[in-house]
Parts: sequence; C-alpha cells; structure tokens
Amino acid sequence: MRDPEPAAPKIRVDGVAKFFEKGGGGDAGQVRALDGVDLDIAPGEFLTVIGPSGCGKTTLLRIIASLTDPDAGRVLVDGKAVDSPSPERAMVFQSFGLFPWKTVLDNVRFPLRVRKAPLSEATETAMEFLGKVGLADFAHSHPHQLSGGMQQRVGLARALATDPDILLMDEPFGAIDAQTRELMQEELMRLWQGSGKTVVFVTHDLDEAVLLADRVLLLSRSPGTVRALIPVDLPRPRWDYDVRALPGFTDIRARLWSMLRDDLVFAESHGPGPATAGAR
Amino acid sequence: MSAAAAAAPAVPRERPRLRAALQHAAFALALLAAWEIGSRLLGSALLLPPPGAVLAAMAELTASGELVVALGQSLLLLVLGLAAALVVGFVFGVLIGRSRIAYWTLSPYFSALFVIPTVALVPLVLVWFGFGMGGRVIIVLLAGLVPVLLSVAAGVRDAPGELVEVARSFGLRGELRLLIQVRLRAAVPLLMSGMRLAVGRAVVGMAVAESYLRLGGIGGLIRNYGSSFQTEYVFAAILPLTLLGIGLSALVGLVERRFQRWQT
Repeated sequence: MRDPEPAAPKIRVDGVAKFFEKGGGGDAGQVRALDGVDLDIAPGEFLTVIGPSGCGKTTLLRIIASLTDPDAGRVLVDGKAVDSPSPERAMVFQSFGLFPWKTVLDNVRFPLRVRKAPLSEATETAMEFLGKVGLADFAHSHPHQLSGGMQQRVGLARALATDPDILLMDEPFGAIDAQTRELMQEELMRLWQGSGKTVVFVTHDLDEAVLLADRVLLLSRSPGTVRALIPVDLPRPRWDYDVRALPGFTDIRARLWSMLRDDLVFAESHGPGPATAGAR
Repeated sequence: MSAAAAAAPAVPRERPRLRAALQHAAFALALLAAWEIGSRLLGSALLLPPPGAVLAAMAELTASGELVVALGQSLLLLVLGLAAALVVGFVFGVLIGRSRIAYWTLSPYFSALFVIPTVALVPLVLVWFGFGMGGRVIIVLLAGLVPVLLSVAAGVRDAPGELVEVARSFGLRGELRLLIQVRLRAAVPLLMSGMRLAVGRAVVGMAVAESYLRLGGIGGLIRNYGSSFQTEYVFAAILPLTLLGIGLSALVGLVERRFQRWQT
C-alpha cells in the first residue's frame, strides 16, 4: 500500500481549465467553469471539495474521472496522465446511477463483469460488498424497491467492488434525508478508514465537508480556482464522539463559512448569471 | 421516494385467474347467442350465417387441409415480414435517434410511409418486387416498419444520459456496447409498445397483400370465398386471423413482462 516515495501525489491536477459554450446568445462565446486548477492529492487522503454552486466542483470531479475532457491542463494518477474513465477511479453519483432493470446484485456485479471477471467470482465479490453495506438480503431486489439511502449504499458497494485506489464521490448524500445522511457518513468513514483509498468528495454541505475530510478544498466562485486548502486535524475515528462539538471543528467551519459567504453574497447580488449555465 | 417505493411491490397485481376466465367465457357465450339470434332474425346466410354454419365451414376447411396450409403460409409471411421490419427498423431507428442529420433528412419519408395506407402500396410493391413471397414480405415489412423505427429512435434518443455515463465510468467502452447494454435496454418499455403496434399493422399488411390477386394464405381464402359470396367460409377464414392477432399480441405481452419486472 505504501508509496515508495511518500511525497508523490496519488492524483495531480495540473493547470486544469474548462470552458463551456454560452447558450443562446451571440456574444463572445465561452464561459469559464474552471480556470487553472492546480492540486495534489496524497495517497490515502480524504479530500472534500466545497464552493458556491456553479463553481465547477462537479466539473473538476468529472475531469478527474475522465468523464469530461479539460480544455487545458491534465490529470495525473500515479504520475501518469489519464484520458479515459476507469474503474480504478470509481464514481459514486448524486442520483445513485443504478440501472433500474438490473437487480441490486447485478448492479454491483456490473463493473466486475465489464472487466470480464467470471460470473461466480463476480457474484462472490459483489455479495461480499453488499454484506459490507448491510444489503446482502436485498441482492435480488430491484433499485426502485429500495429507499434512497439503500440505493446509495448499493452505489457505494458497486464503486468499491473493483477495489479501486480512488473513490470519486459527487454529492453522494445530497439526495438523502438528513438523518440517513449522518448514518451514511459514518458508514463511509468506517469503510474508508485504513483502506488506503484516496477519496475526492464533492459536497455543498459545510458540516459534511469538515466532518469527513483530511483536507477541505474551497473553490472560488466561477470561474473556479483553488481559493483555499484547509487541513482538518481532528482525531480519527470520528464516529466515536461528537465531532461537531469540538472547538477544532467549529473553528474550521467558521473559517470556511466566512470565505464561502463572500462568494455567496456576491452570487446573490449578481445573480447566478450565465457562468453557471454550462457547469453541471 | 423511500416509503412509497418500498411499499409498491407489495400491492397485489394479479387478479384471480379463474374469475377472469369465467368472465371471458360468459361474455363470449353472450356474443355467440346474440349472433345466433341475429342470424335467425335476418334469415339470410349471405348477410350473417349462423355460428353453426361457420363452425361447419371451418371444420370442412380444416379437414380439406385448406385452412391449415393457408394459416401456414400466412404465419410464414408474417414472421418473415416482422423479422425484416425489426432488422430494418432497428438499423434506421438507431441512425435517426443518434444522428441529427439522419433525423432531419430521413424522418419525413418514414412519416409519409406511416400515413400511406398499406393497400395503396400493394400494387406498386408487387409490380416492383414480384408476386412471389419476396414482394409480399416487403409489404408486411413496410406495414410494420414505422412503429418499430419510431420507438427505437425515441428510445435511443431519450435514454438517460446519466446511465450511459455510469456505464462509461465503470469502463464499458464502445458505442455499440453502450447502445445495446444501456440505451436500448433502458428503452425496452418504448420498444415493446412499438412492437405491439407493429404486430397489429403487420397482420393487416399480410391480409391485404394476400387478398390482392388471391395470393394464398388466409387473405387469399377470404378473397376467394368473398368473391363467390360464401359468407360462412369468409367468417371461417377471418376467425383464425383474429386468433393469430390475439396470439401475437399475447406473445409480445409475455416478452414485455419478462423485460419489465423492474417497472412498477
């Protein structure tokens, strides 16, 4: 698991920029969603990404996943530039992204079968991960029969099934009710702790960003650039006590909020504007 | 989503089979009785032959082998025509659904084909492609093509882009794989309703093609006995045709249920 050179980043985002065509209008064509983002993410690090809506945080995640091509710059994983999606960088989607016609088991087996794993082996692995997220009994259900939280646990099991080094999560708990979300956060931390996996986790929830992170990346309002990278040195595991009550937690939260607030106030007074139109 | 979605599958959907069967039988008996009474009141075998006469005609046609041969010819025509409609419909449907240029240039012609009555096409097609099986298959193909094509086009156009991305993110590559495993699979409900329509239109196309110039099959029988005003034999030929239509629709329904268990 240990890198030979501890300083080498797992993921390097190198001068990444992304433009979107301005919809409709004839005036000067492009809107910048991301503008020159440089970022190193260490092996095993849990990085959360936060910023005002439309700042390009999802775009950044999609570029790391190679689901979107950057217009400038590149993404390096283990020092090698990447240009196509891979289950090594497994995605968890905000709207779960489960195939409605597949059973829970088939959904989790999907990435394994794409990689040509034999059926029996894929089934065994899929059941193991369904067990880890507590859904072994629902293997033969269809997604629509499950609650939102359960569906996202399937999404998580599917992402983990290929044992990826990197987990890319796009507001994964954003569509889940607040109480279930807290359980899911704890479950995610338990699964991640000691796994050595590198996680990039996009969220719009400040508490969630601080609670989960080794470092919080704050993006500026559009065009998105790195506004701040704030380390979170709260003791782990964080599910044993009430993290939110620690002064360390509230300090970081307050710092992030004061920075985020400026951009939000700006966005409120100037409107989201065309800048957000293309950014997903 | 959560509670409602979890509760939905518990709702019983199957009605008691025996009761349904009894209701069907009772209604059919009532129809037969009305038929019998009506034909007695009319008193003309030419206008409305009594059910008994139709049954006798059916028995006679079956015994002589005429009906069996005709049914076989019609079924073969239908199967070949529908298979051709499926293949051509899928190819052009995918093309129109995935390419804007193909959509703008081709879809008016298919819309035109959709509104032209099959009867109007028959003389042309038979002259162009001959009076043999080939020409008839093309008529059934043209009759069934457009519903397949339109449903495939709509299906692959509207397929949820997010699921395509999910598949890509887990390493599924190649437009063809994405098309088959995600786009078309997600479009199955649409495809099945297109198939239902296509089957209905293909049966009509088949009968029209066959009855033109008495080209054999069930349609040929209807034409034959119709032109000599043997009404009970016409009925005896029409009944199997309707049964064929019902049977094919049921078959589509069966496939539909097989694929749509995930839908509520």
